[in-house]
Amino acid sequence: MIVQIKKFGTTLVSRPSGKEAWLAFQPVLNQIHTTEEVIVDFEGVMVLTPSWADEFLTPLRGKFNKRIKLDNIDNPSVKATLAILDK
Amino acid sequence: MEDKLLPVGVVAKLLGISIDTLRRWDSSGRLPSIRSGPRGHRYYRQSDINQYLQEIDTIAQNWTQTPFPLKPSEDMYCETRDIFQARLEIFESKLSRITPIETVSLITAIVGEIGNNSFDHNLGNWPDIPGIYFSYTIRNKEIVLADRGQGILKTLKRVRTELTNSSEAMRVAFTETVSGRYPEARGNGLKFVRSIIVQNPFSLYFQTGNAELYLKQGDNGLNIQEAKTSISGCLAKISFEEIV
Repeated sequence: MIVQIKKFGTTLVSRPSGKEAWLAFQPVLNQIHTTEEVIVDFEGVMVLTPSWADEFLTPLRGKFNKRIKLDNIDNPSVKATLAILDK
Repeated sequence: MEDKLLPVGVVAKLLGISIDTLRRWDSSGRLPSIRSGPRGHRYYRQSDINQYLQEIDTIAQNWTQTPFPLKPSEDMYCETRDIFQARLEIFESKLSRITPIETVSLITAIVGEIGNNSFDHNLGNWPDIPGIYFSYTIRNKEIVLADRGQGILKTLKRVRTELTNSSEAMRVAFTETVSGRYPEARGNGLKFVRSIIVQNPFSLYFQTGNAELYLKQGDNGLNIQEAKTSISGCLAKISFEEIV
């Protein structure tokens, strides 16, 4: 399963939009097989902040733990956000 | 020295606004033009434009200090988060025309984080005027954000009852993972802003209540001081140079 983050937008900064993305995506997430890998692809994302990521990525990691793999994390704000979340 | 006259198209680019907006500002007297040439084209004095470019932080400062506030002018005011998001994306697009993607990404992220923080912490609790002031001059590479919210001390005191002044509250907000939105176990926003400022050719002035902070590239500690005048809410000024 590949989650293309850019499909939620390319300037992802607020808590409400992160929360809305999480809620709207539940039906898709609920269909993922229990052993399937979940690839989170940041390709095309221009701006990401911890506020948005805290509402989407944090619960996603909570749900799938080690099955999560992050891809295309070269964008500077994506890198900076992931660094803060990992602290 | 004679004051140079700038054509309307040049001024529109300098200020990052449309020619139509300049016409409106001319009619309303906000930024008057002068007519010159046989066809009476609009021109602007260089000195008027320079003055205007310096004004965005003065306007914000006055707005956060006055006991009798009005809503800021429409082009600088984001009453709701949706308006802020729309303006932030326009800002991002303008910025991307003059600066590399690294700068655009990081500057838009910290502006987005500071602006959204104001909404996160004041939703349903705005003391008088809801929303934020958001203005910038692309040429001067300066962005100003302000709110007339409750300020960091009042927000954090709900979860950190031992806090007694704005300086302590500001230090906590910029150094610890704590959220005034208990029971939410979050609150990375201003630490994120700090980490980006100190690692890049950017600088930040931040004021809340009577505490002010200057932060720039390479800073290790937090230089928090007492401000001359106290403000309602928060005020942030961001300056940047391109990342080489």
